[in-house]
Parts: sequence; C-alpha cells; structure tokens
Amino acid sequence: MGNVISCFLPGTEFDRAAQGLLGAAARLASACQVPHVALAACVSDTMTEALERHADRVVCIRSGLLSNDHPESCLAAFHAACASLDAQTVLLGQDARSQEMTPRLGYRLGGCSIGDAQSIDMTDGGLSVRRSVYGGKAVAVVRASRTPAVVWIRARAFEPAAERSDSVQTEILDVEISDGIAATQVTGRQEESRTGVRLEDAPVIVSGGRGLGGPEPFEELKKLAGVMKAEVAASRAACDAGWVPPGLQVGQTGKKVAPELYLAIAISGASQHLMGITDARVIAAINTDAEAPIFRHCQFGLVDDWKNVVGPLTERIASLLQ
Amino acid sequence: METATREVYWNISHHWVMYVLLVPTMAVALYGVWRHVQRWRAGKPVVRFDRPVMRLKRLIRFGLLQISLWRDPLTGLLHAMLFWGFITLTAATTVVMIHEDLNIPLMQGRFYLYFQSLFVDVLGLLAIVGTLLAGLQRWVLRPRRLVFSGEASCLLLLVFTILVTGYLLEGWRIAVTDDPWGHWSPVGRVVADVSAAFVSDAGLRTAHVVVWWFHLVLVFGFIAWAPYTKMRHVLTAPLNIFTADLDSRAGTLKPLDFETAASFGVNSLEQFTWKELLDLDACTECGRCTDACPAASAGKSLSPRDIILDLQHQLHEADVSVLSAASKAASDPDSGPALPIIDTRPALSPESLWQCTTCAACVEACPVSIEQFPKILDMRRYLVMEEASLPPMLAEAVTSLEQRGHPFRGAQASRTDWTDGLDIPHFRDVEDPEVLLWVGCGGALVDRNQSSTRALARLLQKAGVRFGILGRDETCTGDPARRIGHEFLFDAMARSNVERLESAGVRTVVTSCPHCFHTFRNEYPQFGAHLEVFHYTTYLARLIGEGRLVIDPAVTESITLHDPCYLGRHNGITQAPRDLVGRVTGRPLKEMRQHGAQSFCCGGGGGMSFLEEEADTRVNIERARQVVETGADTVAVACPFCTTMLEDGLGAVSEERSVAVKDIAELLWDSVSSDSSDGDASTDHIDSSDD
Amino acid sequence: MKILVCLKQIPDPEVAPRDFRLDENNLIADPASAGLVTNIFCENALETALQLKEAAGGEITVLTFGPAEAEDVLRKALAVRADHAVHVINPGLLHPGSSGAACVLSAAIRKLGSFDLLMFGREAGDWGEGQTAGLVAEHLGLPFVAFVDSLQTTESGLHIVGQTDSGREELTAAGPVVVSITNSDANVPRIPKTRDIMMAHRRDITTWSLEDIDLTEDLVREAAGSVEVTELFIPEKDTTCEFITGDSADERIDAFARRIVDVIGSI
Ligand SMILES: Cc1cc2nc3c(=O)[nH]c(=O)nc-3n(C[C@H](O)[C@H](O)[C@H](O)COP(=O)(O)OP(=O)(O)OC[C@H]3O[C@@H](n4cnc5c(N)ncnc54)[C@H](O)[C@@H]3O)c2cc1C
Ligand code: SF4
Ligand code: SF4
Repeated sequence: MGNVISCFLPGTEFDRAAQGLLGAAARLASACQVPHVALAACVSDTMTEALERHADRVVCIRSGLLSNDHPESCLAAFHAACASLDAQTVLLGQDARSQEMTPRLGYRLGGCSIGDAQSIDMTDGGLSVRRSVYGGKAVAVVRASRTPAVVWIRARAFEPAAERSDSVQTEILDVEISDGIAATQVTGRQEESRTGVRLEDAPVIVSGGRGLGGPEPFEELKKLAGVMKAEVAASRAACDAGWVPPGLQVGQTGKKVAPELYLAIAISGASQHLMGITDARVIAAINTDAEAPIFRHCQFGLVDDWKNVVGPLTERIASLLQ
Repeated sequence: METATREVYWNISHHWVMYVLLVPTMAVALYGVWRHVQRWRAGKPVVRFDRPVMRLKRLIRFGLLQISLWRDPLTGLLHAMLFWGFITLTAATTVVMIHEDLNIPLMQGRFYLYFQSLFVDVLGLLAIVGTLLAGLQRWVLRPRRLVFSGEASCLLLLVFTILVTGYLLEGWRIAVTDDPWGHWSPVGRVVADVSAAFVSDAGLRTAHVVVWWFHLVLVFGFIAWAPYTKMRHVLTAPLNIFTADLDSRAGTLKPLDFETAASFGVNSLEQFTWKELLDLDACTECGRCTDACPAASAGKSLSPRDIILDLQHQLHEADVSVLSAASKAASDPDSGPALPIIDTRPALSPESLWQCTTCAACVEACPVSIEQFPKILDMRRYLVMEEASLPPMLAEAVTSLEQRGHPFRGAQASRTDWTDGLDIPHFRDVEDPEVLLWVGCGGALVDRNQSSTRALARLLQKAGVRFGILGRDETCTGDPARRIGHEFLFDAMARSNVERLESAGVRTVVTSCPHCFHTFRNEYPQFGAHLEVFHYTTYLARLIGEGRLVIDPAVTESITLHDPCYLGRHNGITQAPRDLVGRVTGRPLKEMRQHGAQSFCCGGGGGMSFLEEEADTRVNIERARQVVETGADTVAVACPFCTTMLEDGLGAVSEERSVAVKDIAELLWDSVSSDSSDGDASTDHIDSSDD
Repeated sequence: MKILVCLKQIPDPEVAPRDFRLDENNLIADPASAGLVTNIFCENALETALQLKEAAGGEITVLTFGPAEAEDVLRKALAVRADHAVHVINPGLLHPGSSGAACVLSAAIRKLGSFDLLMFGREAGDWGEGQTAGLVAEHLGLPFVAFVDSLQTTESGLHIVGQTDSGREELTAAGPVVVSITNSDANVPRIPKTRDIMMAHRRDITTWSLEDIDLTEDLVREAAGSVEVTELFIPEKDTTCEFITGDSADERIDAFARRIVDVIGSI
C-alpha cells in the first residue's frame, strides 16, 4: 500500500500553507488507512516540533550537500528519501520550489505528477484530483493511474489537520547524493517586502475608486487591506486623480489581476475596469448605488457609504481573524 | 473732351533698365519654382489632372471664393482683401504691359476710368487695410495657430511697403501732371492733395523717380523671393486645390499592394506621391488645422500644421538629386529609408503620431486642401508594419483583433449577450431579409453599449423590419487595425468580411457604429464589396418617414448632440441624427460650440480609445466641457465609442454639472409610439433560432 | 548559443465565458467555441529567447507537438524571426497530457541534437499543469529552473533570474539547462513586422510524425496514460449579487465582514 508522504522543503515554516498540506496528507492517509509520513529537510526546530504533532512519522533528511541553494541536490535528496520510504502518494505545497520539483520527483519515482490540486480523493482506480482548467472556466477531475502520484496542492485551500495529543519522534535519514549536483547554483536571492507583492499575484485585493474622493481615504483602505493581508489597487479614476500611483490601476489599460477575493470600494464597475478582474474568484463591492454595474459581477455586496463602513469593517475583520 | 488715359512712364527715363532687371528676377523666381517642381516629381505617380471641369469647379469654390476661410470672419475678411487686392493689382499691371509693350491701347476711356483707376484704387486700399489687419492679427492678437517667423513678418512689411509706395507714386503723378481724371483714383487724389500742400512739383518729381525705382526693386524682390517663402502658396495653393483627390473623402484610406510595395507605409520623402509632396509646399502656415485638432486643443504635442511644415522643411533640405535618385532606385527594404522623416523633427515624433484620432478636422479646416492626417497614417503604417513599433496598448488591441476578431483585450461579453430575451435571429435564418444588422464590437462587447444595441434592435422589430445578425460569426470590420496603421491585418479582415457577407447573400447593411459604417461604405468597395450601407440614424429616419415607426415627442429633458466624426465629417451625415433627436423632444436641440462638420472629436477614433491618455490632456474631457457648456441635461450620441468616451469625460467634469449620455436609439425607444407597425408580425416568419 | 523554445497551441483563454463550451464526449474544450492561440507563457519564453539572441547571438529553434493547425504557432514564431521550426504531428491523441507531450518533445529534441538552453512556458493556459518542462528535463537528464523571467549569458555560464514566493532568486548554470519562463514586464511578446509575417509563410517547417522520432502512437498513449481525465465540466457560477441586509448598520457590517473572512479563510 505504501505511505502518504508530505514534503517540506528547506526553509519551510509552519504557516497556513504547511498546515493545509499536513491536513490534506493526514486525511488522505486515514482514508487509505496508511501512515502519513512528513518528510522534511533543513527546517527549523519549531517546524520539526509542529510536524511531530501532526504526522504518523516524521523523517528528516540529513545530507552534507543539502541546502536550499542546491535545487538539484534538494531534488535528489527527496527522491532518495521517497524511494526508501515506499511512497504511495507524495504531496507538496504550492511554493515555487515545490512546484518546480513535482514533475521531476514523479518522473524519478517512476510514478506520475499532477499540479495545482484543489481537492484530492482516493478512488479505486487511484488518486483522483480536482483542479480548475481553461483559466477557471472549467473544472477537471483527473486520476493518477501510476504510483506513486506526486502532487502539489493549493495548500492554503485545504483544512488544517487537527493537532494530535501525542507527538512522534523525528527520524533522521541519511542520504547519499551524487548526480548532477553542481549543474545549477543559486548565487543570490532578493526578498521583496510584503507590500511589494505584484498585484497580479495577490490573493486578496482591496480596490478603491473615484467615490473615495481623495488620497486620505486610501490610507483607511490600506488599514483594511492590512488586516485582510491584501494588496491595495484602484480604478483609473482614482489613479488619474493622483490619489494612488498609476501602477495600482486595474482594468483594460491597467493590471489584470486574479485574486481569490476582490473587494471594490466606491468603484462603479465600468467595463474597462471589469476587464481587469475577469479572473477574480470572488468579487465583492461596497457602493452607495445599488444599480452600479459592479454589483452585477459581485457574489456579495453592501449598499452603503464607504465612510460608514470601512472603519468598523476593519475592526470587525481584525477581530474575526484573531 | 479728350479720351481718359494716362502716360505710363511719364516721369521715368531709362525704363529699359526695368526689363533688364526683370530677367534675373524671373530667373531667380523660376529657378525657385523649378526646384519645387523637381522635388514634387520625385514623388510616386498618381493621376490628378483628369476630369478638368470638376477640378475647375473645385478651384472656383475653394481657390477663388475661398469658402473655407470665412469660418474665421477676421481672417476671411483680411485674406479676401489681400487676395482680391493682389489679383486686381496684378491684372492692372498686366493691362499696363499690354497697353505699353504690345501697343494695344487698353488704358483709355471708360475702362481706364472705371477699372484701371477707380476699381484698382479702391481694391488697393482694401489690400492695405488687409495688411493692417494681418499685422493686427500677427503682432497684437497673436492667435496660437500662426507661425511667428521672421519670414512672415518680412513678407507682410514688404507687401505693405509695396502697396503704400504704389499710392505715393500715383498721388505724386496726379499732383504734378494735374491729372484731369485724378479724382477717379480717390486714394491717389488724396495723396496728391496732401503732398502738393507740402512739397513743390519739382520735389515731387525727384521723389517720384526715387520711389519709383524703390517700388520696382521691392516688387521684383518680392517676385524673386516669393517661391522661396510661404508666398509660394499663391501658385501651389490653387494647384493643390485643382489636383485634390476627387474620388474619396480624406478619411478613406488607400489600400496597399503588399506584393509590390517597396515600403509598407512612409518613412522617406520619396515614398510620398508627387501630390503629397505638393501638399507640403501648398501650406500657408495658417494653422487652422492645428486649431481644429482635438489632440492639439487638449494640450497634446500633436500639431498637423507642424507635421506639414516639418515635412516641408525636410523636403526643402533634401538634396534634389538624392531625392530623385531615391525615387528611381528600386528600394531595398533592408537598406532603410533614404530620406527619413519619422522622429527627425519634433512634430514628427512617434509620440505625436500616436495621438491622432483620425477625426479629419484638420483636413476639413485646411483652406488649401492639404491632407494632413493621411500622412500621419502613412507614417503610422511604417511604424507598425516595417518597425513593429507601436504603443503596447495598441499592440494588444491589434493582437486581440488578430486572435479573436475584436479589439477589446479581456472583453467578458460574447457577441450575443445583448440579445438575451430579444429573440434576434441569425441572418441566415431570416426569410427574405431586408437588412443585416451589423452590431460591431463596441455595440456588442462593451457592457454600457448593449442597452443601445438592444434599443436599436427593438426599434427594428417594432417597425417590422426583417433583419438578422451574424452573432458569433461577426468579426470586427478591421477599422481599428486600419486607423492604427496595421493595413496588413485590415486587408485580411476586410477580405474575409467581404467574402462572408457575399456568401451570406447580404445586400443591405445597417450598422450601429459609424466606424463600421464608414468602413463598409467607403473602404470595402476597395475589396470588391457591393453593399448598400446605412448608419442606423439614417435608416431609422427612413423608417419614420415611411410611417413604419412612429415616435412621440416623449422626452422632456433638454438635449445636445455630439456628432461622431465618422458620421458627420467623414460622411456628411449631420441632419438625420438631428431629425431623430427633434422627434423625441419636439424641440430644436441645444447645439454645442463645435457641431456638424466642425464637430470636435470624442477622442476615441483612430484606435485611441485603446490607449491610455495622459490625465491632463484628454480629448474627451475637452469635449465633455463643451457638452456641459450647453446647459443640456443629456447628450445624444450615435456611436458606441463616443458613448464610452463621453461618459468617462463627463464623469471627470461632473463636479461642474452632471449630464447623461444616451444613444439616439435609446432615446427613440423611450419615445416609440404604440402606433408603430406591429413588430411582432415580423417574427411570425422568422426562425427564432440563434446560436 | 543554441536555443530551443517549445510552443503549445491552446484554445484562446480570453474567450468570453458565455462562449466557452465543452465537448463532453471527449472531455476537452469544444474546438469550435474558441479560437486557437499560442500559449502566452510560451510567447514570453520565445520573447526571452529572442532578446537573448539579440544580446548574445545564437540560433533559435521552435518546436511544437500538436495537430496540423498547430503549424500556425510555428509560423508566428518564424514571423518574429525564430530560425528553425519543427512540428511533430499529433496523430489525434486527445489527451497527451504533460507526460505524453514530454515524451514526444524529448524524443524530438534528442533527434535535433544538443541545445545550450531549452525554454518552456511556465504553464499552458488550457490545462495549466506546468509539468512538461520539468518532465522534459528529466527525460534528457538536464537541470531545471522554473519561473524564470530573465536570462543573461556570462563567462561562467547562464545567469538565470527566477521568481520565488517572496522575491527573486539568481542562479548560474554552467552547462545546458531547461527553464520554464514566466511573464514579466520585460518579456511581453513583440508583434512581428509585416514583411516577416509574409516571409514566414514561405519558410520551411520540418514536419515529423511520431515514427520519425522513433516513437509510436501506443508508446505516447502509454506515457500519457499515467494521468487520466475522468471528468470535465463547467462549474455553476453564481453571479447574482447577494446584497447583505440587516436591521442595523452594525449588523450589516458584521455580516459583510463574516462573508469576507469566509473567503479569506479558504485561501
Ligand atoms: C479607453 C479607456 C480605457 C479605460 N481603462 C480603464 C482601466 O484600465 N481601469 C479603470 O478602472 N478604468 C478605465 N477606464 C475608465 C472607466 O471608463 C471609468 O471611467 C472608471 O473606471 C471609473 O472609475 P470609478 O469606478 O472609480 O469612478 P466612477 O465611475 O465615477 O464611480 C464612482 C462610484 O463610486 C460610488 N460612490 C460615490 N460615493 C460613494 C460613497 N461615499 N460610498 C460608496 N460609494 C460611493 C458611486 O456610486 C459610483 O458607482 C477607461 C476608460 C476608457 C475610455
Ligand atoms: S485627424 Fe484630427 S486628431 Fe488627427 S491631426 Fe487631424 S485634427 Fe488632429
Ligand atoms: S496645412 Fe492647411 S490648415 Fe494647416 S497650416 Fe497649412 S494651410 Fe493651414
């Protein structure tokens, strides 16, 4: 039957994504009645401790060459470890390195690989994965007919696993890596500050329009965005007025964004603006005008003056997220 | 009584010297003219001397009567004074020559008195007033449109001096000879009386000799210099008016033969036709084009006048031999332009070229039939097709046209979204169809315009018109591609559309968009289309005329009308929209400052609605202000692009006053009477299937 | 430098949602419902390749695996001055998937000889799997870097900049390397010059069948079969706006906040 293995690459922290990955792996393992092995390399002690409270087994890879600066050695190490752990399903998170490794690990393990899973299920024929295709216009269910299936999942979209009362002991696995190690070398890394996340990549966006009436209200929007972990964007009218820089403009002649949530505040929803948010999963709006076109594209909306709403809303969301 | 006449040279001896001087004068002048002709001849061939009668008529209208000058009364007046003054003085001088040199005694009797004396005298005075007005305009009023060059000032002073010295000479002659017919030259008479009061006969005689020669030198100097200055327009303007394009309105762009064209578009002087080069030399520097240009008015860098003048300077600096060699050489596309123009001077910067909305206001305004924006288009073609360099937003529009047959990147609507609940059949399913309703991308894919399109379709249904649409089979006419300068893409789109319409058996098309209308009507014939084309405003006006549609004046708000450039200026349709608006209000509308053929662009033509404009120089805001100025509650429009541009512009000036934007079809639908012929009958035999 | 760029033809991702339909029998997008275009990230890859070639010289070969119509993506690539084009004809496999495609592409690449740089789009706008590049790297035994947005040649080899979750990462590769390209403001695809479009139609395209690259339909089918598509459907999208109601402003704001937190929580 083999194990369900969740992979935590060097540097992984115990964040929402890691929790989702553990949850997905734990549920899959229990559905298949096989052990869930958390496999990690070069992670912090807190991370290891967290893993120990969530998995049936925790295996930590040890190897002289291994670090996040060696993509090829990282792959080789995880491959060697998975191979020795009798993998049935290998799950990875949605970080860039995990995405990069998924197909290669699948290939090396002689199994198959699937990316961007929104839900996973074990069926008689094998692991069944649900994922959205054709730019979100359709949903596909695909089945892995060769094992092990190596899958990276939209980890943040999965329920975290419940913490166990007992915790297991981390096992150390020494692996020997030799081939192709020096083929590429990481020579530098730049971290961009949180506010530097590109709008195109932002999972949540709070966007303001002409109805805000000036630059100051955008400060309030920033506070709201802060509690929502969101980026701030704007309509052209607001950019033009000089309230925010032009780089924040969303729409036909601005950025095209694809957040999970787009909250439009005091934006009418001109078609040129809407063209920039076609790919948003959920659109919500606050506008005084119930007839504003934006509402025709919203899942939910609030007809009210932003002045009455934004402040209390910020507090409410902050306390709900506590 | 003696026959009225006068002695020609009277006080002047050695007047043969004049003939000697005339030789170098004419030589210099003719050399100047010849050089111009040489340069024009380097242009590509085009037939422009056919149909002389039609051309002559044009020449009389625009050259002699100068009808387009009168739009600015001051300029119209001063130019007419100068123009007729000069014509008369030249005629008078010719009469003198015939009389004296050919010994044909013309200068006598009534003719001498009425024409040669009185008429010439008065017209000369008017010419002086003309120069004074011109001076007033140039040095006091200083309208932005003029070019303030030393040359222009010199010319004005020169002409003024020539005229004034002419009167001095006449007056002194009258005074000294005590001319019995002197009072037939009233100005001369006054000069005579005033001079005689202060100076003795002898003094006047001496002064006369000196001033006579001075006057002669000035006149000859003027003649010799004129071809090298803007005064060349005395010759080039009539020629240019005479050789204008008779077949198409300026907005009708020419197709390209991609197999044989040496260059796709123009970036070298010799790639223009001789007529286009002549255009450059016909410019009078009057600046009317830039004055009328919406982009320039909104504060952008584009100036059609400066484009013409910069091209002209480029032409004059070009070595004639290089120019003709370049025009003879079979150009090798890889060798680059021989006499490059784009970006060589400020007005020719790509930035400016990408501001033109192709509204044709410049062409409409030009008194000497220069075609400014087709040259802009030629240069855009070069940028797009030879260099693939165009603003990213326009590149996206082009890519979208190519890949999905519409220019709106990211459009969410489908071509048939607007038909929801309306039961609009596909053209192929309509039995004995009267018309194809061509919806257009703007009318189908832009949320806001769907309600206009719905209104139009319902009006047609109400009138019982048997019509259908192409639905998902419709693609853009290619208009944006052509105006952006991507002729290659337009060519392909036009061909496939013409073929599609042909095979669908379409004979009559009603378009909701003036751009589609213009393209179908004036440009598709270049690709073999034989279609009867209506813009919906004319078509609805006709339905109303036939009693198929009855409109009650139900609209109470006050309305102004925005004339779309491609309906009004490009196609001369300004009455139908006015009639329709009149129907719904029962009152005359509030006209904007600039309307009809002089309408001011919404800023959306020529692909510009796909570009992001600088916030402080937006054409639509400029137009929105004009809308607000009228005090109307609503601005009626008849074009989906105008609708979006004006809504956006009016939003920006809404602190002044809020004005609604309504498509004429929407206004009509609100006012349609139940007496209209019953539209439901028409659906009886229309298959309602619509994919 | 010898550069290979793999290109994929896909149904236009910008087709209006209401026009988009599925072929339920074959579990693919209805070919009639959307036009065919080159996958945008493949175009980004080609643009990056063109810029690299302009900076450092070299030769670009473009390769596609697809049905006869896919020739179009090669013509477009030739129009922006790719040097060679190779088309491996898909004999009618509906779901080659990443593994099938990787199997075919790597066989074709082996036949083409060696390359210094092999470029792919980070994922395709249709199935969005993002697996092919990594799989080809494995087939060929080459190193792989994903989400690359700029490349430069240096003395020590290729200088590669990739996007990571929190910023950017710089790598160097001494030998041949496979990269997947993501979009950036620097690799927006160019539009071709008209003359080049016309020329592109006259250029030769190398066309291979599976047999030409020592594969058979069965072999590809087997590779492709590692992941099967079992269902494909258009999700119901509820676009009617639910207006948040409540007796007091506080109540409404509370309800609104809860809805927002629901969505954020699911990310
Ligand atoms: C060629 C072209 C390209 C364009 N490209 C873009 C683009 O890329 N992006 C873009 O955004 N726009 C673009 N536009 C502009 C677009 O047409 C609209 O003008 C613009 O989006 C309007 O911005 P807005 O919604 O902020 O302003 P408005 O349309 O003025 O809407 C303001 C809204 O705020 C609401 N409001 C007012 N007061 C309050 C309050 N106190 N509380 C709550 N709500 C309130 C009003 O009801 C109204 O709905 C483009 C336009 C053109 C012509
Ligand atoms: S066509 Fe219109 S926008 Fe273009 S130069 Fe002439 S007046 Fe200006
Ligand atoms: S082009 Fe025509 S309108 Fe413009 S400045 Fe010259 S003469 Fe005047």
